[in-house]
Amino acid sequence: MSNSLLEPARLDLDGVSVAYNGAPVLRDVTLQVPHGAQVAVVGPNGAGKSTLFKALVGLLPIQRGRVLIHGRPLRSHQDCVAYVPQREEVDWHFPVSVADVVMMGRYGRLGWVRRPGAADRAVVARCLEQLGIADLAGRPIGELSGGQQQRVFLARALAQEPHILLMDEPFTGVDAATQGAVLQLLEQLEPMGVTVLVSTHDLNLAAARFKQVLLLNRSVVAYGPPQHVLTPAHITVAFGGQALFLGSEAVIVDQCCPPDLPGGQP
Amino acid sequence: MRQWWKQVLPVVGVVLWLASACGGAGTTLSSPSLRILAAEGFLADIVQNVAGDRAPVDTLVPLGADPHTFEPTPQDVARIAESTVLVVNGAGLEAWIEKTLENAGGQRTVIEAAAGLPSREPGEGEETSGEHHDEVDPHFWLDPNHAIHYVERIRDGLIQADPAGREVYARNAAAYIAELQELDRWIVEQVARVPPARRLLVTNHESFGYFADRYGFRLVGAIVPSVSTGAAPSAQELAALVDRVRAAGAPAVFLEAGASPQLAEQLARETGVRVVTGLYTHSPSGPAGPAPSYIEMIRYNTLAIVEALQ
Amino acid sequence: MIDWLVRPLSYGFMQRGLAASLMVGILCAVVGCYVVLRSMAFLGDALAHAVLPGVALAYLLGGNLLVGALIAALVVALGIGFLSRRGAVKEDTAIGILFAAALSLGVVLISTIRTYAVDLTHILFGNVLGVSSTDLWLIGGLGAVVLATIALLYKEFLVVSFDPVLGATLRLPVAFLRTTLLILLALTIVVSLQTVGVGLVAAMLVTPGATAYLLTRRLFPMMLLAAGVGIVSSVVGLYLSFYLDVASGAAVVLTATAIFLLAFLLAPRRGWVWAGVRRLRAGR
Repeated sequence: MSNSLLEPARLDLDGVSVAYNGAPVLRDVTLQVPHGAQVAVVGPNGAGKSTLFKALVGLLPIQRGRVLIHGRPLRSHQDCVAYVPQREEVDWHFPVSVADVVMMGRYGRLGWVRRPGAADRAVVARCLEQLGIADLAGRPIGELSGGQQQRVFLARALAQEPHILLMDEPFTGVDAATQGAVLQLLEQLEPMGVTVLVSTHDLNLAAARFKQVLLLNRSVVAYGPPQHVLTPAHITVAFGGQALFLGSEAVIVDQCCPPDLPGGQP
Repeated sequence: MRQWWKQVLPVVGVVLWLASACGGAGTTLSSPSLRILAAEGFLADIVQNVAGDRAPVDTLVPLGADPHTFEPTPQDVARIAESTVLVVNGAGLEAWIEKTLENAGGQRTVIEAAAGLPSREPGEGEETSGEHHDEVDPHFWLDPNHAIHYVERIRDGLIQADPAGREVYARNAAAYIAELQELDRWIVEQVARVPPARRLLVTNHESFGYFADRYGFRLVGAIVPSVSTGAAPSAQELAALVDRVRAAGAPAVFLEAGASPQLAEQLARETGVRVVTGLYTHSPSGPAGPAPSYIEMIRYNTLAIVEALQ
Repeated sequence: MIDWLVRPLSYGFMQRGLAASLMVGILCAVVGCYVVLRSMAFLGDALAHAVLPGVALAYLLGGNLLVGALIAALVVALGIGFLSRRGAVKEDTAIGILFAAALSLGVVLISTIRTYAVDLTHILFGNVLGVSSTDLWLIGGLGAVVLATIALLYKEFLVVSFDPVLGATLRLPVAFLRTTLLILLALTIVVSLQTVGVGLVAAMLVTPGATAYLLTRRLFPMMLLAAGVGIVSSVVGLYLSFYLDVASGAAVVLTATAIFLLAFLLAPRRGWVWAGVRRLRAGR
């Protein structure tokens, strides 16, 4: 796998505040994500996880504070940051194939007038392989299952060859095969030095598979290795009434996901 | 607070009085109850020649407008309502007149100038599309002899509406008829300058039928194959016209003032005919133009036709 | 048989009319793919009717009618974009409001024109028989500009149509691209006025694209197929109008509709007939 990364991707947030429809959602978020780190972003509903990602990509304006990538402000990085939303708001009836969608990830590098070339097609093929959907390349996007569609958008994000990859709830509401593919992808990305932020509701997964965890509830509750972040004190602050302690065990009733959807079981 | 009524009412009263006074100012009629309205400008001119000084004649359809597709505005309906004599061409030229008369209500003398004239049938060698056969060709006035009939009907109608003016109308009518007869003789002279083989008329719509019949022209065809301007030719009709023009060797196509020259130019490109625009058929020109009266309309058209075909 | 094909073409006006219809058929079909995919059919129809005040004003001022049409179309297109951008008014509503306003303004202006209004009738229904060489150059030139823009901005239009979020992520100027597409649509409509007129241009925008959508699953083949439908309906429609002696613009539209119905019934996989057969087989 070619490594096109020459600079360390360091992500710095400094006092970032974001509002959504006039209501403040994120307040004073300050953190540094080192190059190549994989961070799980956890927190209750409405904590601002999606908002954080959207602000990092430029979809939402930042009210206060600043974001620095490679030490430079947000606007100067064209396709450095790739974003995979939880639910794609795309037109599923649009006549595009899987390969067409993944190729869109290359457009940032192509610029205005150029057409995709052999090199771009090679990247697309590789990304499809990585996500295990190479056999679906010619299929129209509307014919795929939910999990397959999610993998297509992951492949597209990969095709951008980003320095920073943001995945919003990639484990939620998808089939086991897709979850497996995402986990495999995370493993493959680690040695490449791609900085990854993944939001999830699954605290077990966060604790098990991620070296860094960001616990959010409108502002940073805790950030660091899982054993330091996911403590009863921090969990109470973040989840409030949704956290229940039975003796020394903490049980969290999370209203997000219905119990019959797998939350991380293989 | 109630005081202001007393100040406003007198002002309102004065304003109303002034308005009513202004409404009637400037018109000194010898018979104030006679308000004559003619549908088209050329009709108005003819009627004025018969009415003389007894009453001014107003026109409904503005100068240059197409009476076939004229749409009366509310003001037009009001003018009809206020008229006591309405002169129309009839024979289907004013398709909008019946509804409008209903709307206007009231009583008036309506003179249909063309009533009683026999409609023409397409002549030999003339092709018309089958559907248009049922339509009566209302363009009687382009033949001054029919205009004489108009004058008679107008005279009789005016006498009926205003018996006191009987002698004036009869005298004026007779004088005008004499002018029309002179016009007729003049046209015959002019047409004689055109070699018979070249007496071929191609027009933008079928308005010159009676003129052609009277003075010996052959109607090769019309771009809009209808006696009404509202239609548009189909591809086949245009192609057929091109063929006929080529076959007959017509030298020119004549367009009425204001007609779109687009299709005529197509015809010219295909067949090499000359495009002559600006004939005054449905409306006279303005007072400053070359054809401000009916007689001058006919003269102007005749000269234009003769010069193009010579 | 050959004679039957050649006879209409012996007239210069038919040659030019055919050339114009072909160019307009291709142009409308390609641009119409975006209209179909982005649900802009109502917008397309509204823009077409919105040209009336522009034409009427141009007529009153003695200017070029097509230029007046273009200005009016652009004003309305940008107005709709402006009204709906703030989110205060839904795009559908914005279109409805401006459509009615422009149409009414056009009617009012036209009612002040008391002279022969034949040119305006042609604007409404097309005058494919009256295409001059100059008109052909205009249609060809503007059409080429529109198609070239689509070719150059193909990727960008694709992204903002399919996934606006990605467009924002890639920092594409989404609003600029959307406005450009509206301008291209306005140009297409104005160019098409000559052959099909205001009343029918919406059909030429939508029908070929809708037909192609049933038959293919990727955008570029869809555009090619739509252009093909546009070409076939223009040629066949024009010939039919010649031999059946009917209005040309409407004949082209009806031909396109017939092709669409055929595709609707018989398209592999998506056609009505095939779906019925599949249901029967599944039922057994």
